[in-house]
Amino acid sequence: MNLYEYNAYELSSMLKDKKISSRELTASVFDRIEEVEPKVGAYLYTNKEAALAKATEIDNAIANGEDLGRLAGIPIGIKDNISTKGIPTTCASKMLENYKPVFNATVIEKLEAEGVVMTGKLNMDEFAMGSSTENSYFKSTKNPFNTECVPGGSSGGSAAAVAAGEAIVALGSDTGGSIRQPASLCGVVGLKPTYGSVSRYGLVAFASSLDQIGPFGKSVKDVALLQDAICGYDKMDATSVNRSYSSLYDGLSENIAGLKIGIPKEYFGEGIRPEVKAAVMNSVKELEKKGAIVKEISLNSTDYALSAYYIIACAEASSNLARFDGVKYGYRAQNCDGLVDMYEKTRSEGFGREVKRRIMLGTFVLSSGYYDAYYKKAKLLQKRILSEFNEAFNDVDVIITPTSPFEAFKIGERSGDPLAMYASDICTVTINIAGLPAVSVPCGFSASGLPYGMQIIGKKFDEQTILNTAYAHENIFGAFKMPTL
Amino acid sequence: MQIDIKRIAKLSRLRIEESEAENYENEMKNIISMVERMPEISDELTIDADNVMTLRPDELADVRISRDVMLSNAPKVVAGCVVVPKTVE
Repeated sequence: MNLYEYNAYELSSMLKDKKISSRELTASVFDRIEEVEPKVGAYLYTNKEAALAKATEIDNAIANGEDLGRLAGIPIGIKDNISTKGIPTTCASKMLENYKPVFNATVIEKLEAEGVVMTGKLNMDEFAMGSSTENSYFKSTKNPFNTECVPGGSSGGSAAAVAAGEAIVALGSDTGGSIRQPASLCGVVGLKPTYGSVSRYGLVAFASSLDQIGPFGKSVKDVALLQDAICGYDKMDATSVNRSYSSLYDGLSENIAGLKIGIPKEYFGEGIRPEVKAAVMNSVKELEKKGAIVKEISLNSTDYALSAYYIIACAEASSNLARFDGVKYGYRAQNCDGLVDMYEKTRSEGFGREVKRRIMLGTFVLSSGYYDAYYKKAKLLQKRILSEFNEAFNDVDVIITPTSPFEAFKIGERSGDPLAMYASDICTVTINIAGLPAVSVPCGFSASGLPYGMQIIGKKFDEQTILNTAYAHENIFGAFKMPTL
Repeated sequence: MQIDIKRIAKLSRLRIEESEAENYENEMKNIISMVERMPEISDELTIDADNVMTLRPDELADVRISRDVMLSNAPKVVAGCVVVPKTVE
């Protein structure tokens, strides 16, 4: 077995016991990147030299008996909308093609303190707007299980890199499903943590009230390890929640006897492939055999969630992306006739089609005369959706749904129709609207060998229960098997 | 629902090519007709009690980033200042 195929938690022990060095491990990951990257295209930027130097530094620290984090020496890839000091952070946009942040995001500072080895920056849909990574200005990423298919999005590069062995673990961000949906399509584990549990400082904002950074891994244990490393209060993020966060990794247990699982019927209706429903319900049955109690529940407003999501997300995006005006950083158009001309030319040339569409939708719903009809209505719906979840959680401990209504689709298949693409997110957007944690775990394969994903949703700050459920599920269905590339 | 895409683009500080305007307009109409299905809710907006934002005190922070570094991403800088097209005659 090659080193890049192992889980982070296994490698962590091997490093501590000096059975392997971080340099060997990092070299193995970069050999894998060189081998498969032409087929997958997960990365926008790699820095092998800096990564190997960091690995050597960690090896020396381990040899000197220094007290390091559990992820010390582990190669990790970072989504390209997370600020990395002196390293390009493009958001996969022409607008930020040459942008190098002058500061690190809080999660990067935390990972540096932990001693991780950063492999590079991962591809995504431009400004995290999309569900297939086809909206990247630079290139599209391919699904490692079938390179004619998309990896999902917007964190498609992160999911594909982990699935292909091009990173041991990775960070992504999730505004409406952007961690869970690509995790589902690439057969890996992806966690969208509770809003406020991971600092967003240094995450280039898309929709600030919904955005959340989270981990990808090949196993539940790896996701728990990475979440432990990045969570916690940060005064630099006004929405960060100041509370104690106990170790999810140490708390993992596969004992789910008596766990109450809610199955919301609205998530198994029209638009969800029958094969996906069958795979999820098969998983639920297996959990039931381990002692879980399954109950059908109802979340009545689900049908309207996608509408509320696109209004809130686009409204916030139109405001957040106003900062890209060609003045202080990023792209600036040439030969401009005055300031307004510069703004318009810069933004028209610097943004891609999907980003422009969402900025305009956001501008429209916030414009005079339409605010009450759209934005206010969406915010009221958000309140109702959250109260429906809270009510459901009076009766159940976790809620299980499909992650994506369908398996990975062909590149180009949905890119011409925004509504067909938005349909990818029907099972995931509600979770961001309600600010809840949810994890996607692989739950079988289609006849053509493409992964299905199951979403486990929990109460706010109850990542432990959803990861325990995911862990029990993983122990039934077996470990991740890397696709042949 | 009529959408004046040119006006929305102007408000968004975007310029839409004539050839693209109709496409954008149709896509926007489709999205708007989807979101118009939202139900009427008679309720008042309140702040999420679980996530009351805590603002930092407005005081000078020691960030240790020099002016040159701070301006390193600006498209045009002269004498430590960001340069933009003339705004007043």
